[in-house]
Amino acid sequence: MATSYDNISPDLVWECCRNQNAFLCKRKQAGGVQFSRDPLNLVNKHSRKYAGFVNDTAIGIQRDDNTVKLITKLQKRKNQPAKMYHESSFSASTPSRKVYKSVVNSTAKKGYRADLRAEAVARASAVKLSQRERKEKARPVKLRGAKARKAAEASS
Amino acid sequence: MSRPTVTIYGADGSATQDSHPLPNVFKAPIRPDIVQTVHTGMAKNKRQPYAVSEKAGHQTSAESWGTGRAVARIPRVSGGGTHRAGQAAFGNQCRSGRMFAPTKVWRKWHQKINLGQKRFATASAIAASSSAALLMARGHRVTSVPEVPLVVSSTAFTGAAVKKTAAAVALLNSVGAGQDVDKVKNSRKIRAGKGKLRGRRHQQRRGPLVVYEPEKDGKELVKAFRNIPGVETCPVFALNLLQLAPGGHLGRFVVWTSSAFAALDTVYGSSTEPSQLKKDFLLPQNTVAQPDIAKLINSSEVQSVLRPVKGGAISKRGVVQKKNPLRNRQVLLRLNPYAAAYSKNGLGHLSLDEGKPKPKEGLFINALHDN
Repeated sequence: MATSYDNISPDLVWECCRNQNAFLCKRKQAGGVQFSRDPLNLVNKHSRKYAGFVNDTAIGIQRDDNTVKLITKLQKRKNQPAKMYHESSFSASTPSRKVYKSVVNSTAKKGYRADLRAEAVARASAVKLSQRERKEKARPVKLRGAKARKAAEASS
Repeated sequence: MSRPTVTIYGADGSATQDSHPLPNVFKAPIRPDIVQTVHTGMAKNKRQPYAVSEKAGHQTSAESWGTGRAVARIPRVSGGGTHRAGQAAFGNQCRSGRMFAPTKVWRKWHQKINLGQKRFATASAIAASSSAALLMARGHRVTSVPEVPLVVSSTAFTGAAVKKTAAAVALLNSVGAGQDVDKVKNSRKIRAGKGKLRGRRHQQRRGPLVVYEPEKDGKELVKAFRNIPGVETCPVFALNLLQLAPGGHLGRFVVWTSSAFAALDTVYGSSTEPSQLKKDFLLPQNTVAQPDIAKLINSSEVQSVLRPVKGGAISKRGVVQKKNPLRNRQVLLRLNPYAAAYSKNGLGHLSLDEGKPKPKEGLFINALHDN
C-alpha cells in the first residue's frame, strides 16, 4: 500500500532541509562546524550520506541501558513513522567482536548501506568502550618535586 | 498506475477498513524557494503601523546662533535661566533631538503577492506535509504516528462528538499526535526582548494542525482544540500558508479529517482539471518527473548515451608514485618484456660460467716485441 506519489525523494528532501533542520547543530567555532543530533546518524555529522532522517535506508547505533541498540530504517514504510524502524538490542554480555560482526551481518553484508560498514562498527565500538567499567589504578601515583616535599613534610 | 491510497484511522487510533485515494494536490512540486518568498510576504500582511510622534524633537523654539560665536551652527534653544537654554536641538545627533528619518505610519506595511504564487506555495506546502522526513526535519515528534498524511475518520467528529477539550486531547493521543503536543507544552519559554511587554510574552513551538470540513465535521471542534498548546485548526477551504509552513519551513504536521481530505480534490483540482472553487487554477506540475537523482543517473536512457569508460579495469592510473624498474620486477617487465627471457636463460651471466678468460695466443707479447 503506497501512500505517496513519487514526487518526493531523499535528494529533494535533503535539498529542502540541508540549510536548516531540527537535527542540525551549527556552531561558529572551528570554522563553522555542522553536527547532527539525528539518532540515525552514525558519525553525528551533518552530511547527505549520514543524514538518517533523509535517506530511505539508514543505520543507527545507540546506547541502550548497558548495551548496544541497532536501529535500521525500513524502506517500504517510509510513510509510517510508527513502524518505520527496526530496533534490536544486544545482550550486555555479548562480546564486542560479536557485536561488530552481527552489526555488519545484519546490515552491510545484506546489501543494506554497505557504505556505512566501517562507521557502524566504529560507533558500536565507541558505545561498548563507554560502557566498559573503569579499572582502579593499581598503584598510587608517585609524587614529584614540590608536591613530594610537601607530602614528606606532612608525614614526618 | 493506480493512485496511492491513504488509510483512514478511527477515533481510537486503529486503522479502519476505509481508505482514500491520495488527492492530486500531494503531487504538487515541492518548492522551498517559492514557499519562503510567499511566506515572507504574507507574514508582513498582519502588521500594524507604528511611528514616532510627528512632534518629537521639534517642541522647542530653537534658532541657530549663526557664525562668529565659536560654536556649531546647529539650532540652539533660546532663552536663559535653565540648563536647556543654549543646548543644541532638532538634529538627529543632538540630545533630545528628532530621530534620523522619523518613522511614518504611511510606510509600506503590506505586500501584494501574486495569487498564482500563493496558490502554488499552499499546494507545495500541502504536498510537503505528506513526507515523514520533512516533518521530522521541521522538528515534529511523529514517531508514534501510524501514517503520514494522517487522516482521521470524520465519524469521530459527527454529532459534535469532539466538543470538549478533553475529547480533543484524547483523540490526539490515540492517533499518535500526543508526543507532538507534549513537545509544545515543554517548549513554552518567556520571550527574549521587548516583545514581552507587547503582548507576546511567551514563545512556544507549533504542534499539529487539524484540518476539518466545516459543513460535515461541524465547527464545535474548533473550540475543543483551541486551548491545547500548539494545536491549530483550519477549515479545508481556507488553508493558510502561515499555518502550513510556519517560518517558511516546509513540513507541518497536519491531521486531516476524512471529509476534509476528500474535499482536497474539489478545492485544488488536478493538473488537468481546474479546481471547482479556485478560478482558473490548475495544480502546478513538476518540471522534472523523477526527483531521485541516483535513479536518473542510473537510468538506461542516460546510461545508453554515455561514452563507455575508457580502458575499463586497466585504465591508466593518474598520479601514482613512480616505481623503480631496477628494483620492482613487475614494473621492469612492463617496460622490457624481454627481461623475463633474459633472466630465465641466464643470459646476464653467460660469460661468468666460462671461467677466467683465456689469454690470446701471444698476441700481446708479439705486438710488444714488434716495436
